[in-house]
Amino acid sequence: MTKPSTDHAEASPTKKFFVSMLTRDISLADAILDLVDNCLDGALRLANGGDVDYAQHWVKIKLSEELFSIEDNCGGIPREVAKNYAFKMGRAPDDDRDSESETIGMYGVGMKRAIFKMGRDALVRTRHGDDTFEVPISSDWLDDPGWAPLPINEPNESNEVLDTPGTTIQVRELYGGVSRHFRNEAFENEVRAAIAEHFTMFLQRGLTVELNGVGVEPVHVEVLVSNRPDGPAPYIFQKTIDGVLVSITVGLNTSRPASSDDEESGFDEKRSSRTAGWTVLCNDRAVIVGDKSRLTGWGDGIPMYHDQFIVITGIIEFRATDAEKLPVTTTKRALDTSSNVWLESLVKMKEGMRVWITYTNQWKNHPRADQTEHWKDSRPLSLEQAVETVGKRAETKRSGDRIEFNPKKAKVLPEPPGKKPSSRRIVFSRPIEEVRLVSRMFFDTDDEKPGAVGEKCFELILAKAKKQEG
Amino acid sequence: MASGSSLPYRLRPNKAVDRELFLALLTRLSPSLGLEQYRYIGLGGPFLEDFRLVHARLGIGRMTSVEAEEQTHRRQLFNRPIASIECVHDTLEDYLDGEYFDGPVIIWFDYTDPGSLSTQIERFALTVGAVPTGSVLRLTLNANPSSLGKPDPHELSVEADDEASEDRAVKPTIQEWRLARFRERLGPLFPSGLSADGMTRKTYGQSILHALKLAVDKEVLSHPDRQVVWTLATHYSDGQPMVTATLVVCAADDKTITQLAEGWEFYSTTEQPHRLDLPALSTLERLTMESNEDARGCLGFELPKSDMGVDPFDVFEKFYRIYPHFSRVHL
Repeated sequence: MTKPSTDHAEASPTKKFFVSMLTRDISLADAILDLVDNCLDGALRLANGGDVDYAQHWVKIKLSEELFSIEDNCGGIPREVAKNYAFKMGRAPDDDRDSESETIGMYGVGMKRAIFKMGRDALVRTRHGDDTFEVPISSDWLDDPGWAPLPINEPNESNEVLDTPGTTIQVRELYGGVSRHFRNEAFENEVRAAIAEHFTMFLQRGLTVELNGVGVEPVHVEVLVSNRPDGPAPYIFQKTIDGVLVSITVGLNTSRPASSDDEESGFDEKRSSRTAGWTVLCNDRAVIVGDKSRLTGWGDGIPMYHDQFIVITGIIEFRATDAEKLPVTTTKRALDTSSNVWLESLVKMKEGMRVWITYTNQWKNHPRADQTEHWKDSRPLSLEQAVETVGKRAETKRSGDRIEFNPKKAKVLPEPPGKKPSSRRIVFSRPIEEVRLVSRMFFDTDDEKPGAVGEKCFELILAKAKKQEG
Repeated sequence: MASGSSLPYRLRPNKAVDRELFLALLTRLSPSLGLEQYRYIGLGGPFLEDFRLVHARLGIGRMTSVEAEEQTHRRQLFNRPIASIECVHDTLEDYLDGEYFDGPVIIWFDYTDPGSLSTQIERFALTVGAVPTGSVLRLTLNANPSSLGKPDPHELSVEADDEASEDRAVKPTIQEWRLARFRERLGPLFPSGLSADGMTRKTYGQSILHALKLAVDKEVLSHPDRQVVWTLATHYSDGQPMVTATLVVCAADDKTITQLAEGWEFYSTTEQPHRLDLPALSTLERLTMESNEDARGCLGFELPKSDMGVDPFDVFEKFYRIYPHFSRVHL
């Protein structure tokens, strides 16, 4: 049995280790999204549990070779919060802000992680009510091995005061790689697309997000719903699971199925609509947009995603006041797939997908025009609108807070005319010179679609075969 | 229908101007880069016209023409104007995949087929990282928005100024329909924020060039040793609207090519391509316009407006030095 001595072994984390570990598992674009998340959480707190009027709020982001900045008018940081929580590395157990509102911040690392990811000199300036102050995170502080508290500075001059309550973060001394990304237009495009997708619900409600002076337009993820009560409609499911309200819809989007004549298909996998596949929303944030992988059930008891399914869109939303119940990881851009609420939802997601996989199989060898007729009075609707509209239909099953509509069981899906279960597909390749030659013979033009040329060849020989038989 | 590529240059004055611009660019770059030591790789068409010119103007000896169609390939062997042109029967992509580059190259990806836009753009972008620095890459793409497909008119609504057809709320306009197809074709290369306004015959070329710029920028992020300098971009129409873009792959810290390019009278980038739509002129008209400051006044009539939205007098004034003059020769 040993006895305690007066010596201690140092066990606190070094700053260098902490900073490098913290920033390693987040991409640069996600770090920027984290900062926008913080702005939105600010707007929610400002509304104090009431409805947020997002049209009143803006976020302005600037990316350049020397400087990153993000400004918002979302209420700013209260001084007490800044002193005790906001700059702490990780959320303190006694921090009970937001227990009543649908914010998404939970680990208390977003802002610090984003700053450390970008550069070595940052300034956070904030105004809460009429109280303005700033917190510098300098390279000296970063280089110092100790964990000295950060200074809080008061404004001295008028240009150090913000016009409206809100927060401005500036990061300088950007790392080389970061600087190279910030001046690159493709990276700016990536960030813009990510904001358009991730914050689509907020943008649709009027939030303004500017990136380098240009407003970001929301991406609409929608499914087609017929106006007729017996017309085609998407699969709908809604239920509260473990304190999380889960809403699901799976239906057709407005994409066009890939033509079988397109040489690109098969080879060029990216030839697909961004919004085809699954979009996952958590408290209005789109965690994932257009997922076509095993993560969302593709290839797991149902076929793998391929071009035929470009017309299928699924949307699932999780809503909870306690952010820890949501099935997301710390980066908020990935799913926690082991959670119960996710696993239970996945079953329903696959059920909805199966309906539309069968549907696209049935229509595979039929001209698109035949199908269009059935959908001509349909409109693209968001998840919320689809649940509301389809929820009113007579065939919708309800029990408690559970709503379910299965279009196959409700028999509202159009079937192709003269559908023959014995139909088989013929696919083959020939050199373009030969296709042109035959095309010229049949159609007096050498650029008819190869598929049409092939089909006519078959019809021709079929007629001959029938004659011989008969 | 003959495919566009086999139309002779004399029927395509704008394409001829575009090619002259490219040759003028190479002539400007040649003293700095030593282009005569380069290899030139392209899709020469049956007459290998650009090969003849590249050899004549720049003294490049090592040239490879790649052709996928067998009959055209045989015709190239027959027509080969210079013995040192190597004619290869292959697709350009497969050929490039099978080659090692021991020194910088000039490659012209002269695509005319609109079908595989994203593959073409990606292939070009990929090459930026694969060739030695100092290489010059040029791309021609089909910029006809109707190549995105023709929807059934019943699937569309129409708009004029503030008026719109009754089905406007449920059906897209042709531009919106094309935008959706463009998004599908490009996938992640799609320029976020691009609107339906970029899908008209006049604007589609610009939208394609934007997507191209983004794809190349993205590729460059993975190659910290290099940068690209866009030097020449054009948007022209000879029946089919086309766009071209040319860039030089330089070392990351190289400034000379940027200076050389920016000081050139025909310098243009993907954001602002030259719109080449030169008027068809009689010999007398042409000589009058060349020799007078006030061409419009001297002619005393208006020339037909181009469908690319450029003023025929302005565009002539800008490019008259390289405007081709074709006349008939009896053999």
